[in-house]
Amino acid sequence: MARRKAKVGAAQKLTGYGILAVLGLIAVGLFIQQSRFNPAVIVAMRAPELTGRPQAVAGPAQAATAALIPEVEGFAPLAPTQSYGPETLSDKIDGKAELYLSAGFKEMSCRSFGLGDPGGAHVEVLLYDMGSAPNAFAVFSGQRRPGSPGSSLTPNAYATANALFFTQGQYYVEIVADRASAALHRSLEAYAKALLAKLPAAGETQDAAALFPEEGLVRETVRLCPTDTFCLEGLNNVFTGEYSLKGGKATAFIAVRDTLEQAQAEAKRYLDFLAANGYQKVQAPGSPGDLPVLVLDNSFEIVFVEGRTLAGVHDATSLAAALELAAQLRNALKGKP
Amino acid sequence: MKQPADGKKIQTRGLNRRDFLKRVGYASAVALGTCGLGLALYDPKGPAPAEGQKALTGLGDFSRRAMAVGQAKIAIIRGTDRAVMVERGVKALGGMEAFIGKGDRVLIKVNAAFATPASLGATTHPETLAAVAGLCFKAGAAQVLVTDNPINNPDSCFEITGLAAAARAAGARVIAPRPALFVPVSLPGGKLLQNWPVMAGAFTGVNKVMVVSPVKDHQRAGASMTLKNFYGFLGGRRNVFHQDINGIITELSQLLKPTLCVLDGTVSMMTNGPTGGSLSDLKDTGTMVVSTDPVAADAVGLELLGRTLADVPYILMAEHAGAGIADYRRLNPVLLNTSA
Repeated sequence: MARRKAKVGAAQKLTGYGILAVLGLIAVGLFIQQSRFNPAVIVAMRAPELTGRPQAVAGPAQAATAALIPEVEGFAPLAPTQSYGPETLSDKIDGKAELYLSAGFKEMSCRSFGLGDPGGAHVEVLLYDMGSAPNAFAVFSGQRRPGSPGSSLTPNAYATANALFFTQGQYYVEIVADRASAALHRSLEAYAKALLAKLPAAGETQDAAALFPEEGLVRETVRLCPTDTFCLEGLNNVFTGEYSLKGGKATAFIAVRDTLEQAQAEAKRYLDFLAANGYQKVQAPGSPGDLPVLVLDNSFEIVFVEGRTLAGVHDATSLAAALELAAQLRNALKGKP
Repeated sequence: MKQPADGKKIQTRGLNRRDFLKRVGYASAVALGTCGLGLALYDPKGPAPAEGQKALTGLGDFSRRAMAVGQAKIAIIRGTDRAVMVERGVKALGGMEAFIGKGDRVLIKVNAAFATPASLGATTHPETLAAVAGLCFKAGAAQVLVTDNPINNPDSCFEITGLAAAARAAGARVIAPRPALFVPVSLPGGKLLQNWPVMAGAFTGVNKVMVVSPVKDHQRAGASMTLKNFYGFLGGRRNVFHQDINGIITELSQLLKPTLCVLDGTVSMMTNGPTGGSLSDLKDTGTMVVSTDPVAADAVGLELLGRTLADVPYILMAEHAGAGIADYRRLNPVLLNTSA
């Protein structure tokens, strides 16, 4: 019987061989790839229980602060509001979270907006609930940008070229744009006012600068340090203010305690801490009340107690500046409980 | 009609139905056989790990093996144009061809930690990324990958910072973190990095690693530059390491030896880091550092922030751990000025 053979043209043959060659190359590639098997995948397949917990995910915006972030005309939301608690705050602000956590942070909500046309400014609003007005002041003052003008928004408010920062009661607010212009600044202020209208009334705000004698005080430097002031563990809730005096520069500090004994115990602990770090007593005739003065590398320290208040001078650049500020401070605190 | 050599008659004509069905049958049999062979060879468990291996011990040594005698290891470039500064710096170290070969797969670790625009200086600047990725491709890289683990909404972080757009424009691909990329790592001798999830999956097939970082103040660490950028390989609740930030950064310096580090101090975040927020936190410091040594690069960055090695302990700790040289002047840095 005659065997029939299909006619195969040269082009068909060539195509066939080409396809076979490609398949062969793919097979070779697979073998090479398999021989370089990623060790990470090997380990992943036999992963022991991880020490670290699973990836954090920003919580849904169920926090109370989420409801306080307003939608304002002209500000187009770019994403839903996100909220963070003490466990997840560092997922948003990384290493800065410790600053807030040490000051009593409760929760934070934030939202991004686009302002104007596409390609317009990007604005982010961050609203922190710090639990109390002093806590809010602590994080506000701890990050205050030197030289930035105050703002009339609230008693504790200032502006930089592209942002507004302020407190209202227990809340600390940042409204940050990615660029600077006068028109943009007006928009940020309008947004801030809308936000303030939604925040609970603050009541009377304590003027922290009023704690300090006025002469020589650089008002914007007044801060509340919530923990470990001057690197002394447990020296908490201390107000500080920087001075520029005739004799040099110095920092005053004030911490009101519940009892006289408590204030005295903390004063002793701080003096012991200074001595342990190499500070030495120096003769300082004329020091107010013959207070002891300690020095290390031309940095002068004076510590005293007045009523229930622990106070003193830190890091004065000269003995004269230290004595001048200590005298002022003592006078200001005299007669106070 | 042709007559074959064996005398059988063969009728030649076009492909008929019978031939077609036969060929389809043969092809199907071969395909099925191949699939069966694949199934027979398939090992769902994968290759066995080395004896006792439960976790990776590091991410690898991607440093350049052989450097010519006298070849500079660090260049400090003054100027304002990031692309020009990167190009000049890399050229001073022998050109990108000295680091990247044809067909290389390059991973670029950026700092995309925050979903904030580049103008706020909290992340790697997209221009710097574009310059580095462009030079890699020019030197023959087959693929350039860009990654970071910002934890919070990585897509937003890469998009808003402009890094995703810069990567796309340069032809690079962004690898966003996902659970499958993380595997446990235990650093030999490490106190903190034990069975900790690290984004090792991003290194699949990669044979060169670039670290491109901004210069920033950091509330906890003192400064965030190249070595702190390695933190972005960590998964899990990594904030627990903030309690020993110097210790963790020192251990991270042992985790990976990069091919090249680019530290962008064109604009530095001087205060309120690592997030910043105000343009007043930034300062024009007009400096780019290109270095094979991450410790030396960070030592230069530290000076831009006006700080000393005593202020940021992890740099000397990393040096003692063998990650590099903190006294960068010992490396005879090439000093360039692109403004001139």
